[in-house]
Amino acid sequence: MEAADIPLKAPSISPEVPASEIEQVERALIDASTRLPVLMFYASAIAWLLIGTLIGGLASFKLHSPDLLGNVSFLTWGRIRPAHMNIMIYGWASMAGMGTAIWLMARLCRTVLRYPLLLVTGAGFWNLGVLVGTGAILAGDSTGYPWLEFPPYAAIILFAAYTLIMSWAVLMFRFRRGEQIYITQWYLVGAFLWFPWLYSAANLMLFVVPVQGVLQAAVNGWFVNNLMFLWLGAIALGTAYYMIPKVIGRPVYSYHLATIGFWTYAIFSSWTGMQRLVDGPFPAWMITASIAATILTIIPVATVGLNHHMTMGGNFQLLRYSPTLRFTVFGAMSYTVFSAVGVFLSLRSIAGYLHFTEANVAYTQLGLYAFYTMVIFGSMYYIVPRLVGREWRYASLIKLHFWAAAYGIGLMTLMLLAGGIAQGADMNDPAIAFSESTQALLPYLRARSIADVLMTVAHFVFAFHFGLMLLGLGRTASVPTFLNPVEAEGGEGHL
Amino acid sequence: MKGLTSLFLGIFATFAFSWAGLALVPNFQIGQLEPQSDEEGTDVYPVPQSGMVERGRKIYTANGCFYCHSQQVRPDSDSSDIDRKWGDRRSAPRDYIYDRPVLLGEMRIGPDLSNIGKRAPADDQTGAAPAPSGNTPAAPAAGGPAPANTAVAAAPSPAANAQPAPASPQTPAAAPTSATDASANSEGGPPTYSAAWHHQHLYAPRSVDLDSNMPAYRFLYEQRRISGERSVDALSLTGDAAPPTGWEVVPTYDAKCLVAYLMSLDQSHSLNEVKSNAPPAAPAPGKAATK
Repeated sequence: MEAADIPLKAPSISPEVPASEIEQVERALIDASTRLPVLMFYASAIAWLLIGTLIGGLASFKLHSPDLLGNVSFLTWGRIRPAHMNIMIYGWASMAGMGTAIWLMARLCRTVLRYPLLLVTGAGFWNLGVLVGTGAILAGDSTGYPWLEFPPYAAIILFAAYTLIMSWAVLMFRFRRGEQIYITQWYLVGAFLWFPWLYSAANLMLFVVPVQGVLQAAVNGWFVNNLMFLWLGAIALGTAYYMIPKVIGRPVYSYHLATIGFWTYAIFSSWTGMQRLVDGPFPAWMITASIAATILTIIPVATVGLNHHMTMGGNFQLLRYSPTLRFTVFGAMSYTVFSAVGVFLSLRSIAGYLHFTEANVAYTQLGLYAFYTMVIFGSMYYIVPRLVGREWRYASLIKLHFWAAAYGIGLMTLMLLAGGIAQGADMNDPAIAFSESTQALLPYLRARSIADVLMTVAHFVFAFHFGLMLLGLGRTASVPTFLNPVEAEGGEGHL
Repeated sequence: MKGLTSLFLGIFATFAFSWAGLALVPNFQIGQLEPQSDEEGTDVYPVPQSGMVERGRKIYTANGCFYCHSQQVRPDSDSSDIDRKWGDRRSAPRDYIYDRPVLLGEMRIGPDLSNIGKRAPADDQTGAAPAPSGNTPAAPAAGGPAPANTAVAAAPSPAANAQPAPASPQTPAAAPTSATDASANSEGGPPTYSAAWHHQHLYAPRSVDLDSNMPAYRFLYEQRRISGERSVDALSLTGDAAPPTGWEVVPTYDAKCLVAYLMSLDQSHSLNEVKSNAPPAAPAPGKAATK
């Protein structure tokens, strides 16, 4: 089929009424049906984002000032760090992603959302799971497996909540209109199926029928990477495939490229993860297989990147106006950088130096923040006005959010990469005392704390703006809020 | 994309492929390892740890020590781990068969701890294995309860059994304090990596090493008024870290367990599947190549 056939637009229904008006009514109805659950997911996610940001900032300061608030057991660095990570992954990223995914699915299935209370209940239980799990970590009941620190009694709440949310997705597909499954839906269906399999497989192999010794670390590494790629990454790529064409107002450049990109992404990125165990006590083939898979992820990166680039075509000037497009394109470009850094860090000769250093944290931050979170911010700027019937109040706040977040994550990534290189160079020279390697890192960690302050500003600005929207204090206008005054040739109406 | 069925099957197949390849097959390969022993069935390694050590592992996990400290020695060819004296040989899957959770670590903001128990001063160790430099195969294992090490070629370490099966780890109470210990380090503190040293380091890291970035774990210690005699396990602190006169700092049970766990970390026992750098190079009893 041709790219132009992709049904972003509904086929015309009746000759008398203009198709565009029917479409508009239909969309308005669908948006209204998703209003309560999506806003609930978004509001919860943003609340977790603020909590996680504050805890993360404290963890960052403690790395170079270890005596800060150190004498309280639940504020010790080794507890607030996993609390921060898990809040960000399960509280912020997963909840915001599910909110966006629900809205996208309803739009793309062209059906109103049925049983919204099912989703609201699911969101409530999910919040409870994150709360219980975070409390358990702070109280000293962490499991000791990165990204799976929530003890089983919290994991089971999350899983039950997810089943409610998931059963809704099945309903949605049952009632969808039209035979076509749009690119975004491939990624979302994938994400919604991969997550429960991943989460249950990892929890089963670590807690129910635990595997022996080092295999726990292998299962853990497999889970971490797959959660990044098959859950969060898939949601973000699906979202970008919707937002970029939508804002520009033209179809995706190539359907075939998208197909290649999707399947190579699913196959190769799911085999990564063992490269983080390089030189560890494992059979060498496991690590080599993951390094090869990491290198092969260049294929989906190139195809997805090329597709987005060609879709953008000559429309790059729209980045000046559309908040959605600016955040989404920043995220999509960061996906390329994230993957390139991943390939770089996985190469054995480089890993020998940079394994066990902060460079790996830079990689994680690139994936979770520069790529995933920025795409989700973009989608929120698009979706929230359609739910509350108001436009964003202040263009200046959106700009502040974007630049603080962009400079924040940029500074953080650079500092962690540079710090990791300094740290690794010292660590791998046995003539230099080990403590030199951590001392060499300190200036970079201080600069990283500045980046944390920037991102804290960004998140509070965004939360304030979102709060205004929830309270109905957005602008009542027929045109969206542009970042800059639109000149004669700029406006498209879709922004 | 034609239809939901092919999409669903493809999504399932990619997941199953990855799970089988990276979780299932390795489980067949290294998922049922047994402890190693010599022909007579003695010299078993590794052995399960005592309850106090296992509780210590929980304290170590709960407080996130593994985010900064790895427990794995990389091979000499790819790293400086062995040059840094973090171990005599690379770590192997068999070293970890009783570890749950396994705490390999992903970051080194602090040094590797794979052999931190082994690096304690000789009289402070459970099995009292001499330092590798003083290696003489004929030397009697001081304090080793079962010197059944008759296979001359077997182990570079003369300690017959660094951890006897019903291991009763050194309790900090019996550790030498700086006042009584003859081999105290230059600053007058307890000897490096002894139990008393670990306690002081956990309570006030920068009183031991000015460059340390480790947070203090004072919540694992109790400051209390001295009633009558000073407690035997009270920390001997000086400077800023010292309690006011008439007060003392004693470890809680959790702190003692944590130190018992640290003192139990020892991968010095040779494994047939791993070549050791410990001098003198023992004739390899098995295949020298790593798995």
